[in-house]
Amino acid sequence: MTGEARQDFAFAFLSILFEGAPFILLGTLISGFIDIYMPPGMMDRFLPKNKFLAVLMAGLLGAVFPVCECAVVPVIRRLVKKGLPVSCALTYMLAAPIVNPITALSTWKAFTGPVVMIYGETVQANLVMTVSRMGLGFLVAVLLGWVVARIPMVWVLRKRLVDELKNEQPDHKAIEHVHACCDHDHDHKHKNDTHACCGHDHSAQHTHKHEESSHVCCGHDHSHDHTHEHKPDGSQRIVAAMRSAIKDFVDVGVYFSIGIAITALFNTGIAPGAAWLDSIANRQILAPSALMVLAFILSLCSTSDAFIAATLDKFTYGAKLAFLVFGPMLDLKLLFLYQTVLRKKFIFWMAVGLFATILLGAYYFQWFLNQQIVP
Amino acid sequence: MNVKLQRIVFSVVVIMWAAVLLYFYGSGRIVKYLAPDFRPLALYGGLGLAVLGLFVLLTSGEKSSCGHDHSEGDPHDHEASDMNPFTSMALMLVPMIFAVANTKDSFSLAALSRKSLFDEPLSNNVFLAEDLPPLTMADIEKTHKKSEAGFYEFNLMELYFAAGDPEMQKLLNGLKVETEGRLVMEKENNEAGNRRRLYRLFITCCAADARAVPIIIDFGKETPPSIEENVWVKISGTVIFPVERGTTQVILQSASCAEAEAPWEESFMRNY
Repeated sequence: MTGEARQDFAFAFLSILFEGAPFILLGTLISGFIDIYMPPGMMDRFLPKNKFLAVLMAGLLGAVFPVCECAVVPVIRRLVKKGLPVSCALTYMLAAPIVNPITALSTWKAFTGPVVMIYGETVQANLVMTVSRMGLGFLVAVLLGWVVARIPMVWVLRKRLVDELKNEQPDHKAIEHVHACCDHDHDHKHKNDTHACCGHDHSAQHTHKHEESSHVCCGHDHSHDHTHEHKPDGSQRIVAAMRSAIKDFVDVGVYFSIGIAITALFNTGIAPGAAWLDSIANRQILAPSALMVLAFILSLCSTSDAFIAATLDKFTYGAKLAFLVFGPMLDLKLLFLYQTVLRKKFIFWMAVGLFATILLGAYYFQWFLNQQIVP
Repeated sequence: MNVKLQRIVFSVVVIMWAAVLLYFYGSGRIVKYLAPDFRPLALYGGLGLAVLGLFVLLTSGEKSSCGHDHSEGDPHDHEASDMNPFTSMALMLVPMIFAVANTKDSFSLAALSRKSLFDEPLSNNVFLAEDLPPLTMADIEKTHKKSEAGFYEFNLMELYFAAGDPEMQKLLNGLKVETEGRLVMEKENNEAGNRRRLYRLFITCCAADARAVPIIIDFGKETPPSIEENVWVKISGTVIFPVERGTTQVILQSASCAEAEAPWEESFMRNY
């Protein structure tokens, strides 16, 4: 790399880092605190019984429980095991990284400035891009949720997960036990039969002790070797939340760092292929397709990817929209994370479906914008 | 890896990021990188990262509890990372340290040529003007100071956008104006070597999205001043809008050109 190239790379790299880092911090702090403070069974209580409506609602849950795409996979794994319908879990998984206030805020900030014409009126580009991104993200996630609601779970989930769910179901039915005393779920599997009385787990790895001596809620003996307490003090939970947040920050920061390094190379023309990427920037199908592939490779966090999309100034808004919707739903790191929950075959077909639907959405969006330009 | 060591490694990474953000903010160099409304966010982000990193570092050996169960069937771990912490550390710190060591707070001309430095001016940007009342010479006189030598002070952006606005062209054509920017050699249509290009950057959010806003300086029969490439100059002359290579160009026929100090805010910023 020549001295000039190093200078250009460094300047572009730092400028995107300074712009995006505060938003990643905000996102990971919130997700760290949700991770620790949100009771595991809380989310499914928000969903209606009707499958159709439940999927719709699941697409909006990200607005209440904002998590980025890295954090959402472990969350949905737990939710599925807690009995949340797979269709709702997948809808939430795809929508939450986009339909959430932090992503909306960062998209808004990143596209502030330019204006576009809509029905003869000048409209701020940040409004158009934020609304379009959230709208298309929600629509695609809900469509996939409805499709998944119609296919058997064994086609979607990993065999091991399905087996675990099947094994747990009888226990769940038997254990309709509400833990009013301790305000969280204990619906995991018993390791042995000794605690059939209370319906929650006291396995070897989870030996806890209720604080009260009289256990009116479950009426069983807690005198055996239960070592940790149900209610940690507040400072212990804050420490746990901060540790979860810093772990999330580093996990996301690694991909962000790689992503902005690659973007800086393209942005300043150092990367081979930068000229080719520029040359296809105005192509109706090829440009959004190329940016979706770029989003897949860069594996950026949804809380900060808008800052990168905004720097792709030769590309149309439609292509940028494709980048902003596809990236949080499927990228290189998610491909590995999804495999902890989903079957490979399902992931493949989901990828094809997402690619085609988002391409169509982005194409229509750009066509609509083009119609607004006065000749 | 020992979980305490992982916490320490992560804290160091986060504190390093915080230090870089806070250093660039504190030294004032941040103005070259971010639009004004992003600068306070960089400060808050730096402070937040410092607090997070120090908190985790200082409590790395303390007991913590999430308050919910982690039985065998639910093996989630709030601190299990995607990759080896030292790999994460290297991936987050090496590019940043490399960038800090190599940045000159500006782009080279090669990078600027990708950011429209040598592009033709916009041919049509009148859609905004349709909503505005007609512009008159009185408006221009009211909003622009006149120097003692009789030149109206214009910023480069106004001159640049006049290329796509016939109303502005009509008013400005032949007007004596003064403006400032960086001077570089003109590449096209400059066989006699008497042309230069004057530009400033326009930043929407951060320097990576910067675009050059250039006009052509024509020294005519005069010898262009021997000013180093890419240096800030104050320049005055007569503005004209000829059609060259099929596009309306903005050309300032220079009367005088002298090196000048760079303004504090070198780039044009959105909304400022």
